[in-house]
Amino acid sequence: MRLQSAKWRWPSPSGLPPARLVGGLLALLLVLWLTAPLVELNLPRLASSSGRFLRFASQLAEMPDWGYLPQLLSKLIETMEMTVLGTFIAIVFSLPLGILAASNTSPHPWACRLTRDLLSLMRAMPELVWALIFVSAVGLGPLAGTMALAWVTVGFLGKIFAEAIEVVSPRALEGVRAHGAGRIQTLQFAVLPQALPDLVGTVAYILDHNLRSATILGLVGAGGIGYDLVMSMRMFQYGRLVMIMAAIYLIVTALDRGSDRLRGQVIYGQ
Amino acid sequence: MGSEPVAALQRPAPALPPKPRAHAWAWAAAVAAFLLAITWHLGINFSALASGLGDIAEYIHRYSTPNFTDWSRYLALMGVTLATALWGTVIAAGLAFVLAPLAARNFSPHPAVYRGAREALNFMRAMPDLVLALMFVAAIGLGPFPGALALGVHSAGFLGKFLAECMERVDKGTCEGVASTGAGFAQRLAFVAWPSILREGFGYLLFILDRNVRMASVLGMVGAGGIGLELYNSLRIFNYDQSAAMILVILATLLMIDHAASWLRRRLE
Repeated sequence: MRLQSAKWRWPSPSGLPPARLVGGLLALLLVLWLTAPLVELNLPRLASSSGRFLRFASQLAEMPDWGYLPQLLSKLIETMEMTVLGTFIAIVFSLPLGILAASNTSPHPWACRLTRDLLSLMRAMPELVWALIFVSAVGLGPLAGTMALAWVTVGFLGKIFAEAIEVVSPRALEGVRAHGAGRIQTLQFAVLPQALPDLVGTVAYILDHNLRSATILGLVGAGGIGYDLVMSMRMFQYGRLVMIMAAIYLIVTALDRGSDRLRGQVIYGQ
Repeated sequence: MGSEPVAALQRPAPALPPKPRAHAWAWAAAVAAFLLAITWHLGINFSALASGLGDIAEYIHRYSTPNFTDWSRYLALMGVTLATALWGTVIAAGLAFVLAPLAARNFSPHPAVYRGAREALNFMRAMPDLVLALMFVAAIGLGPFPGALALGVHSAGFLGKFLAECMERVDKGTCEGVASTGAGFAQRLAFVAWPSILREGFGYLLFILDRNVRMASVLGMVGAGGIGLELYNSLRIFNYDQSAAMILVILATLLMIDHAASWLRRRLE
């Protein structure tokens, strides 16, 4: 019996969990208890809705609507095209911004600060809010979605590029500068070659992230599969809904695996 | 002996290896052609966009007079959004706490459990949180809680994967040392897995919280409460002044959280 209890001692001299952990957990519980009314947590309603949830799930077990397949494919292609185009535009814009925002390549500390703040403003709000704004500005369609994707991605990529450039070894920079290289030549021969593996890994991750975002941009009419997804849900066309969800699952999983593999190869050389 | 170097000198020089060719331009041209094809296929007209820049500037100018008369309501709504994100993160942490050890190859009790947990995490990641929110709203009804559930399920997919990958990097010697004392699954988790990844895991948790705050401000659009719903409604009726005020409230909150998160992360390191 004593052995049993000794097995579950905390690995500390007193055998008790540290005060910081206990305090942190208690504080978290207190915050959760205080915020429960804010999120309208209602356990009885939650329990009673499980039946409704099962009924909803059983409705999904419907035969796929094969007649929808051609439209599904064209919408999927549109989604992927938006992802690629938005990501590429973002790369073009974020490379110079990243160079400006990195403390070791920025021409002036003020330029560095300003660019950083601009980038964090750009990535502060999710794609969907920007898509709403761009839809009102340039009209419905994939252009608004592509712009929203590119806009937010510049914010993320610029920051990550800057971080990748800041960890570049200063010796290589010095060596290239000692040969009389100018600013552009230093970037081209010392900074970019060293930062490249990180950059490629980041782009793979961002492509994955953008594809996920692109699938929902259609919700506000910014092109892609999202519009059909929401419409089939609202109009109870579950045969279509099943196909759309399966298709999203397949392409997101494929890209997830692909980007994991690419990042493994580029960053760790595995 | 003396004639050999001379003979070597007299031999005709071996053919040089082919000069390396820089394919950069060809690649750039191919990428450009590909992107142009995409642009054409999407029906995007960038020249129209350029000529419409004036319209866009005029449109953005409409947001220049934010109307903060309702500011106390916006702050309350922002509070609901933050609470949604917090609950979502806690749900995600709970789910990941269970699934991550099962999805780590070196701690998982059985290869079949490992595969199953991996696939479960993958499925949770693959469903966009807005779609999950739509489904939970349909099942539970309107309100922030379905939003928190959706955020929790979706981000648990990410958090669980990150934590599992951390656990797979844990030093093998430590695992074997504890296992050789006869520790079972739960004890190996309590004394090896969690203590070794605590710091990294906390960083990932912060990342998830940060992400959930951003997403929670959008979930309102599908009826999951918070400031997103108000923003969506006021944008739909072209109420630019109030929309601008709400966008500013969201931006200010997100920037503050961004700074708080990076401060916490620096303290962790």
